[in-house]
Amino acid sequence: MAVKFFGQYLLERGAVTTDLLLKAIALQDSINLKLGETALAIKMITPSDVKRIHDAQRTEDLMFGDMAVKLGILTEGQLGEILDHQQRTHLRIGEALVRVGAFDHDQLNLHLEGFRADQAKYATTRTLIPAGIAHPEIWEISADLTAKMFVRMVGLQCHLGDCTLVERVPGGALIAGIDLNGDVSARYLLGVSDELRAKIACSILMESDVSDEPEEVLDDTVLEYVNIVCGNVAAKAAPAGTVVDIEPPFCLRPGEEGIPVPADCYGLHFQLVMATGESASLTLFVKR
Amino acid sequence: MKKVVIADDSIAVARQLEKIITGSGEFEVVAQARNGLEAIKMYQVHHPDIICMDMNMPGMDGITALRTLVALDKQVKVVMVTSLGGVGDKFTEAIRLGAKGVLSKPFEAEDLLKILRGL
Repeated sequence: MAVKFFGQYLLERGAVTTDLLLKAIALQDSINLKLGETALAIKMITPSDVKRIHDAQRTEDLMFGDMAVKLGILTEGQLGEILDHQQRTHLRIGEALVRVGAFDHDQLNLHLEGFRADQAKYATTRTLIPAGIAHPEIWEISADLTAKMFVRMVGLQCHLGDCTLVERVPGGALIAGIDLNGDVSARYLLGVSDELRAKIACSILMESDVSDEPEEVLDDTVLEYVNIVCGNVAAKAAPAGTVVDIEPPFCLRPGEEGIPVPADCYGLHFQLVMATGESASLTLFVKR
Repeated sequence: MKKVVIADDSIAVARQLEKIITGSGEFEVVAQARNGLEAIKMYQVHHPDIICMDMNMPGMDGITALRTLVALDKQVKVVMVTSLGGVGDKFTEAIRLGAKGVLSKPFEAEDLLKILRGL
């Protein structure tokens, strides 16, 4: 029901054992080298270059490749060559499982077909993100999964509106938030009306009526909703090599004045409208 | 009847899990913890057959607690129930550390019970 990676899908279906999966992952780890290791292996840099880059990374938050270029150790073109080499030699988990004897290529193809069918419901619907914003694919996935989870978890058909840039998050509603870190730096904020909160609560608590539930419990169900959305965003981002770490969720209840978008962030805003009339709003504070 | 400890900082999720687990009539929830440290304490007090634990919790997180639990008892049966289960690195880390299962959220009740029955 959730966004999964291929190895997890196979394990859940009993197509591989835990031992074989771990063996295949260990094989991947031995072949899929990090950028610096790859550069060393193909003799584009020396161990002393690596030390210089690591030393410089202690004082400036730059990725290994970017730092190598900044220090003049690699050119942009050489960095591209290393990345190409990394991509060409990358061992995927399916192929690794074949190599450790879990199954043959024909069986792999059948499992891949099944996996694609299982995950088809999470194929991202394209949304245009304004130009110049880093990692647009992550914000596209975030908005798309926010809408899709209303269908999957709450049983509400949800229409996702266009992305607009805003300077203020609308107030007057419960806002559940999560900070996203790792390769991205953003704050995810979902505003929901009390009516929509009740529907989310019915779904998560598996109750038909939540009118007697304490506010704390009702709010907590919305926190769990955003936790699930953001966890699945992280899962969808991972295969492309983008690390999205999620922090524990929090909730806010601003007045009608709403919340201003911090000066160092873009405010990406999406309106979500349910077929039953309720609406929600998603705002992403994305670091400039 | 097998005894289960639930470790999740969300009151709502803990209730959801308890409803599914006890509703099956096959398991008994003996305690609930709000973070990893509490989960370890509950394990030492109640000696449950299974622990259902979240990964992303404030204070001690689920992965740290899993590592400690496995160090205390190599036979411990921990199932991670998490929104991060689909992240390959997180999934692999939990399985390598000794989790007996990783269930991604959202899930169907039957998916959870199938894992618990298999332990």
